[in-house]
Amino acid sequence: MIDFLAEKDASICGGSHLTRREFLQVGALGAAGLSLPQYLAAKERGAVKPGNDEKACIMIFNLGGPSHLDLWDMKPDAPSEIRGPFKPIRTKSPDIDISEILPRHAKIADKFSLVRSCHHSGAAVHDAGWQMMQTGRRFIGGIHTPHAGAVTSFLQGRKTDLPPFVVLPELMGRGGGNLPNGQAGGFLGKAHDPFALMADPSKPKFKAPDLLPPDQIGANRLARRKSMRQLVDETVKSFEASEDARLMDDNFQAAFRMMTSDQARSAFDLEKEPQKVRERYGMNRFGQCCLLARRLVENGVRFVTINTFLTVFGETTWDIHGSKPFTSIDGMKNIVCPLYDQGYSALIEDLHERGMLDNTLVTGLSEFGRTPKVNPAGGRDHWPQCFTVSFAGGGVKGGQAVGASDPIGGFPAERPVGPGDVVATIFKSLGFDHEAHLPGPAGRPFPLVDLGTHPIKELF
Amino acid sequence: MKEAEMEMIEAMKRDGAAIGRNFKEGRHSCRPARMAGTKASGMARGLGCFQGVTVFHALVRPLRGHGDRNVAAPWLAVVLLLAFLVSGSAAEPAEWTFRNHVQPVLSKAGCNSGGCHGALAGKGGFRLSLNAYDPEGDHYNITRDARGRRVEFADPARSLLLTKATAAVRHKGGKRFEPGSRDYRVLAGWIANGAKPPTDDDATLERLEIEPKQALLKKGDTRSLTVRAHYSDGAVEDVTSWAKFASADETVVEVDAVTGELKVVGHGEGAITVWFSSRIEIARVTSPFPNTVPEEVFAEAPRQNFIDELVLEQLRSLNLPPSPRASDEVFVRRAHLDAIGALPTPSETVAFLKDNTPDKRARLIRDLLTRSEYVDYWTYRWSDVFLVNGRLLRPEAVKAYYQWLRGEVAANTPWDELARHVVTAKGDSLENGASNFFAVHQDPESMAENVSQAFLSLSIGCAKCHNHPLEKWTNDQYYSFANLFSRVRAKGWGGDARNGDGRRTLYIADRGELIQPRTGRPQPPAPLDAEPLAFDTDRDRREYLADWLTSPENPYFTKAVVNRVWAAFMGTGLVEMVDDLRVSNPPSNEPLLDALAAFLVEKDYDLKALMRLIMSSETYQRSSDALPGNRDDKRHYSRYYPRRLMAEVLHDAVADITQKPSVFDNLLNRDGSRTKTGFYSRGTRALQLFDSAVDNYFLQAFGRNKRDITCDCERSNQPSMIQALHLSNGSTLNDKLRAAGSCVDQAMEGADAGQIVDRAYLLSLSRSPTAPEREGLVKLLSETPAKEKRAAVEDLFWALMTSREFLFQH
Repeated sequence: MIDFLAEKDASICGGSHLTRREFLQVGALGAAGLSLPQYLAAKERGAVKPGNDEKACIMIFNLGGPSHLDLWDMKPDAPSEIRGPFKPIRTKSPDIDISEILPRHAKIADKFSLVRSCHHSGAAVHDAGWQMMQTGRRFIGGIHTPHAGAVTSFLQGRKTDLPPFVVLPELMGRGGGNLPNGQAGGFLGKAHDPFALMADPSKPKFKAPDLLPPDQIGANRLARRKSMRQLVDETVKSFEASEDARLMDDNFQAAFRMMTSDQARSAFDLEKEPQKVRERYGMNRFGQCCLLARRLVENGVRFVTINTFLTVFGETTWDIHGSKPFTSIDGMKNIVCPLYDQGYSALIEDLHERGMLDNTLVTGLSEFGRTPKVNPAGGRDHWPQCFTVSFAGGGVKGGQAVGASDPIGGFPAERPVGPGDVVATIFKSLGFDHEAHLPGPAGRPFPLVDLGTHPIKELF
Repeated sequence: MKEAEMEMIEAMKRDGAAIGRNFKEGRHSCRPARMAGTKASGMARGLGCFQGVTVFHALVRPLRGHGDRNVAAPWLAVVLLLAFLVSGSAAEPAEWTFRNHVQPVLSKAGCNSGGCHGALAGKGGFRLSLNAYDPEGDHYNITRDARGRRVEFADPARSLLLTKATAAVRHKGGKRFEPGSRDYRVLAGWIANGAKPPTDDDATLERLEIEPKQALLKKGDTRSLTVRAHYSDGAVEDVTSWAKFASADETVVEVDAVTGELKVVGHGEGAITVWFSSRIEIARVTSPFPNTVPEEVFAEAPRQNFIDELVLEQLRSLNLPPSPRASDEVFVRRAHLDAIGALPTPSETVAFLKDNTPDKRARLIRDLLTRSEYVDYWTYRWSDVFLVNGRLLRPEAVKAYYQWLRGEVAANTPWDELARHVVTAKGDSLENGASNFFAVHQDPESMAENVSQAFLSLSIGCAKCHNHPLEKWTNDQYYSFANLFSRVRAKGWGGDARNGDGRRTLYIADRGELIQPRTGRPQPPAPLDAEPLAFDTDRDRREYLADWLTSPENPYFTKAVVNRVWAAFMGTGLVEMVDDLRVSNPPSNEPLLDALAAFLVEKDYDLKALMRLIMSSETYQRSSDALPGNRDDKRHYSRYYPRRLMAEVLHDAVADITQKPSVFDNLLNRDGSRTKTGFYSRGTRALQLFDSAVDNYFLQAFGRNKRDITCDCERSNQPSMIQALHLSNGSTLNDKLRAAGSCVDQAMEGADAGQIVDRAYLLSLSRSPTAPEREGLVKLLSETPAKEKRAAVEDLFWALMTSREFLFQH
């Protein structure tokens, strides 16, 4: 086990053999809140196994909770109130049948695997599942555990001028349970919060907001602004003791780095993509987020989370209760599935064609599944007791169905998988030792995932 | 009979807190009030313990035939004597009841948890109510469901309930307890005694007593907790082994969820939540910081009112030295921002700094609370709570709702009256703007949940489906509460928020009940834990609710608003999150919250009186500079905590300084499209907007409250890179500085570089530059070629307005 908390005596002046690249990297880490000793400790003691600098993860989070029974864990032999209105179709993998409303998934089923026995013990409210599935834990005792992307940011820091952890297109909204949604740095500090795009990349003339200085502000003025700000900003003593204030400073530094970087500018520029490629992903918010995620990973972002929707209120989402203001089963079939099917399959194929899939894990997660029984409104309600998640790339063997649910999709029948196992799987793919420790609240060692949770080995 | 002993703590007292190291030696046992002796079965358990269930059963069965105590008396005497001989002391309840014993055992063993049989669909065909909220249903499922095969009266040890729980037969949930354990004997005893159902005559749990309730401990100390249940029949039972424990802040204290053994791991105030039988109680742990602070520091610290007394008392117990008073420059800025959401103008700043009278801070506070910007700012803040949102209401309704609220704030309507106006609102939604509260929430359940969240800071939504897992609220109470709203109707409800004209007429129907789905019957209408109202009362049930809500005895109502106001000024609530007042989330300084609530009641809910009190305190006026000893304090107000300005305040500060207001002429719809609005004339400030749906990227990037749900969490004051990018490259600040006639031109008018710097500092930071600042900036300005002069002054303002000193309240 690795312990980040051990005192390290490494220092730049103390004769450590830092390469120039490492030195630059460490400089960048400072802005992300990781101090030199922490970084060296991480590297030297193997929390990040060597040779994994090219690894990345794209976490697609399906807000609302897709119906496993209508999509990827169908029960054609169950009574009609269980099996629902859709039929399964054959896919490219002999082990996976999938719903007729995901035809493009069927064509690439050799590239992704499904885990049909995922479940969690949290409340059946959206935000409980959001925090558990993205951090691997339920927040208890006032401890906010970090998002898997924040852990990545902490362990590896930034690779290029782009931030290590990006959320597209925006952070999740609130889920109605008034719980934190797990899309933050938690106890690792706000320095490891994701960079959220805050814009819809499918809009005409999309540009990442405020990425470039206005035309009238050239290099001279930027330099002057920087030196003036430095003069002004150092006076107030009280900010040393305020985490938020330190963070604001880091944000300015990181922002400055990004806005003066050609690479960052180019990474966010979707117009650099041929129209055909853009259309392949679908000219909608989700599709263009998938495309942008690929560009970001190409340019050194280590972890991208795509929220398929921003909230479950007043939007057509996976939350198919059947009645207003939620989504109907037809809404899922006609609106949600087509765009998801297209965006997801385009992303997987594109990554594959570019030779990036082996190093890029793509996960399809959600806060829960849906009730085995169709409700009187023709929809299905929240069901965390059993649901399906997907994994592709990043060393995962495609075409498998791991675990199984019972005959009505109500509970895992084989190989139950919890949120901790899902997050451990992500860490394994990224090359982290899931038994390593992070500095937890009040400096206590905190394991990457809880004792007893493990990567889903069958996937690799 | 160790398990029957009631642990007594002979606690040494110091400052009202038990001292940890005496604990281990301080154990005693005494007999519970409800002693064996009224019926045979209880006593016989002593033997049961000794010889197993069969012996116990054999003894009890003959006795059960004789209901008459006199007949059993000779037997009793023998058994009692025997029990004493065996165990040394007899102390068990007279009889294991389903409600007060069997269910707690099942809860503690986790049988009725959400992941097991407490799941909505049960597990393995056996279903229990989550955390035992439905005793009758559970009793039925245990004794009758599945043809009653779960209990064997003739041989309790063979009951499926026991063989499963002990994993004697295959059980997916594994072994929950050992054969012969206390839990085992409770279930066996209850079955042997006929598996009696819960009755209305069962003693009800009146309160929990925790020992120690308050402990002063050091980092590294350990301790155990004892939990006693007090019942309505006077009985007191040690229920430690059936209680569940959780720490409210694991950075201070950790607790073993099963045993209640706690360990202090940090410094500050810790709290342990103890759950037993849907009741929650708190034990507090004080772990002083490792400082040496001379006693006089606290004794001599200035005090303006009781806030300072109570804060200093806590600082003393925690060894946290208080920071000194903030300077006048800091205070004038801080007071303006917190009271009216605007910066002081240069002339206001100068006048205040020049004033040498001793009561100038008091006068400033008084004056600020009468300003028109006060009305803007506080109407805006309360609009967050009442969800004035153009995505939920039509424009005319938004306007009416806002203007009603603005009128209340302008009149400084006492908070209890304002609450009554909302809760009992009826009539035309454009004439009585308050009635739009019910246009946002159109069914009894969401009305109840939002009234609770807005006025009590209690989230009761969990209790809609089952007993609240973190709170004492039961499923029945939820439906009683919601049923208060079952007759609220309006013409014109329903449909999409953006259709129609927003005119709705709210009235009270003379019939209609909300059905509690579990029972299929309506619950008697009652406000949470109050006495129910008769079903057939003529009165608007909401008036009864308003009486209960605003009664000074209501333990939540006053504290909820006090905590909101306190947090608005201090940056950190006594309770955090600000609107999460559940018992299991205790305040950082309970005596202070109590005293503030009492003060507000005494002042007839005059919020301005409360604000004046807070702003006048030394606590509010402390410097935000940390001392070596209080750097790590984040909850106890030993210093003022810097925080990023809220989105609208920051926006308006930029607009005020540059003198270039923003244009607000679009609403941003949920689908990303925009709708024109003509509500906001040129010069409108962000704090004067009615509506959170007004399109403005700056407000969005800085985390304004979306007002989709009643939750303070919808606002974010966290810094982010998006904000840094927007300030650096975005249009808001850059365009305003660049516009002709902005503060840049005014500062440059007839001024040399030094004067420009002075003016810019006073405008944006409400102070003069320090010598090094002035020198450095003057040098940078003077180096600029003449044709770039304006650009350089723009850059100066930019640098000031992106500094943390500007972006933060401090």
